[in-house]
Amino acid sequence: MNVKVENLGLHYGRDEALKNITFELTEKKIYGLLGRNGAGKTSFLSILASFREATSGSITMDGEVPFENANIMQQVLFLYNKDYKDESDNVKSLLEDVQRYRPNFDIDYAEHLIKRFKLDKKKPLKKFSKGMQSAFNVAVGLATRAEITIFDEVYLGMDAPSRDIFYKELLQDQADHPRVFILSTHLVSEMDYLFDEVILLHKGEILLHEDVDSFTTKGAKVTGSKDLVDEFVGSKKQLNTEQLGDTKAIFIYGEFSQEERKAASHAGLEISNLSLQDLFIHLTGEEEEYETK
Amino acid sequence: MKQNNHFPKVALDMYMMQLAWTLGFFGIMLIIHFWRIGRLTFFQGDEVDTFYNSVFTTANIFMLVIGIICIHFLPHYVENGVTRKDYFKGALLASIGLSISLPVLAFIISSIIKAIVNINYREADINSVIQEIDGDIGDIIGDIVQAIILSPHVDLSSNWLLALGVFSLNLFMYYLLGWLISASFYKYDFIIGIVSIVASILILMFGDTMIRIALDLPIFDRFSALASLPTSITLFVILLVILLPVWIIRQLTKRVTIKM
Repeated sequence: MNVKVENLGLHYGRDEALKNITFELTEKKIYGLLGRNGAGKTSFLSILASFREATSGSITMDGEVPFENANIMQQVLFLYNKDYKDESDNVKSLLEDVQRYRPNFDIDYAEHLIKRFKLDKKKPLKKFSKGMQSAFNVAVGLATRAEITIFDEVYLGMDAPSRDIFYKELLQDQADHPRVFILSTHLVSEMDYLFDEVILLHKGEILLHEDVDSFTTKGAKVTGSKDLVDEFVGSKKQLNTEQLGDTKAIFIYGEFSQEERKAASHAGLEISNLSLQDLFIHLTGEEEEYETK
Repeated sequence: MKQNNHFPKVALDMYMMQLAWTLGFFGIMLIIHFWRIGRLTFFQGDEVDTFYNSVFTTANIFMLVIGIICIHFLPHYVENGVTRKDYFKGALLASIGLSISLPVLAFIISSIIKAIVNINYREADINSVIQEIDGDIGDIIGDIVQAIILSPHVDLSSNWLLALGVFSLNLFMYYLLGWLISASFYKYDFIIGIVSIVASILILMFGDTMIRIALDLPIFDRFSALASLPTSITLFVILLVILLPVWIIRQLTKRVTIKM
């Protein structure tokens, strides 16, 4: 399903939660939505899922407006950290309920996942721990096989082994039944290998939308003697600097040519790639750090 | 993509769930009913109302409560990919079905009990109560309390079909007003929620008065000027009074943000 977002904006009274969001998702890939707390991730995802309307701009999915469109809405699934404290139904009956309304829901796969996460099918959901409730959400998310599946931080409460199961199942199921996944997360370093593309949301705006591999090659850390590093980096966009004695490391956002890399090597400078996590931290955190200094 | 019409499913699911709640409500009413029969038989207590009449005086509040709960199905269905429109249509159909089923079930159960337990049941004249209290209190609060407690009542023995129909209509109105109040609170803040409660009471009092006029039942003095309205007009106004909350609920839920 093709997702096209144009000039999308959202206001809460006078606050501008989202502004000028424009992008297009054309392929069945796993998209990582990164952004700091309050960047507007959940607001944006809830508009995609027709939970709310945008104040301005438009969203189309396969050329149609999704809001209140029965054909589109049944193919868009949005899972978030839902509070199940009042949910007295058990896993079995909740899965049956989902199955009634979701055309691609695979009950066998759901049961396989419930077994892998070691969830008791007969226990009311409210009696589950937070992590187990999250695991239930994840199981529903995968087994529904909606054309657009959105996970908004649902895995946060899960323990490391459960998250690992989720990542493996996600990649396997994406290989078997390709679809659009949008995963928002804070666990960047842990999940970076899952993403095909990454969308960085910062203060309600899209900072970038890129292929993960080409994005990470844009980040580099140049380490060496202070003067040499400063001279080499020149006017490139600096994300962060670290200094210990005469040794300085500068985090750069921008690509180096082959010649530049050779010159660096001759000068005794070390150039290493930045991880997605480093890029995320420094692209979205830099401003505040300087402001507070 | 396959075209899926979800509202019949929503209607059936909500109807079955609310019917189960109704059976629970009947269970409690039956316990009270048999306790009163037992008390009358063994300790010569008060007279006992028929099961039908007991349900008649309590089911309104039951419907109001499940009408209030109705809004909680909205996020549930939207999360499952159902549109707000399909939820609205489904919930409305379910509430109509329930408003018809409840009096019929109460009538059947009441008839069975009457056939088995042979005692003298009190044939309460629910409508006459309105005038007895009216003279004593006679103020607006008294009217409001009465309007909430007492609904237009037609005796089963005079015209059973009309009696069941009026009972259904009462229940349907209470359900709609509960739904209207909860939808207002869901969409807006506390103040508008309170306004919706006041509006609901006014709609209820006005609707009840119209039904009373149409059925030639006693009405509040406050509305006595309306008593001479021709039946055709009152029936039309009753229809409008039903459609008004239906329309408001749809407007409230049409584009509402789902709370997370």
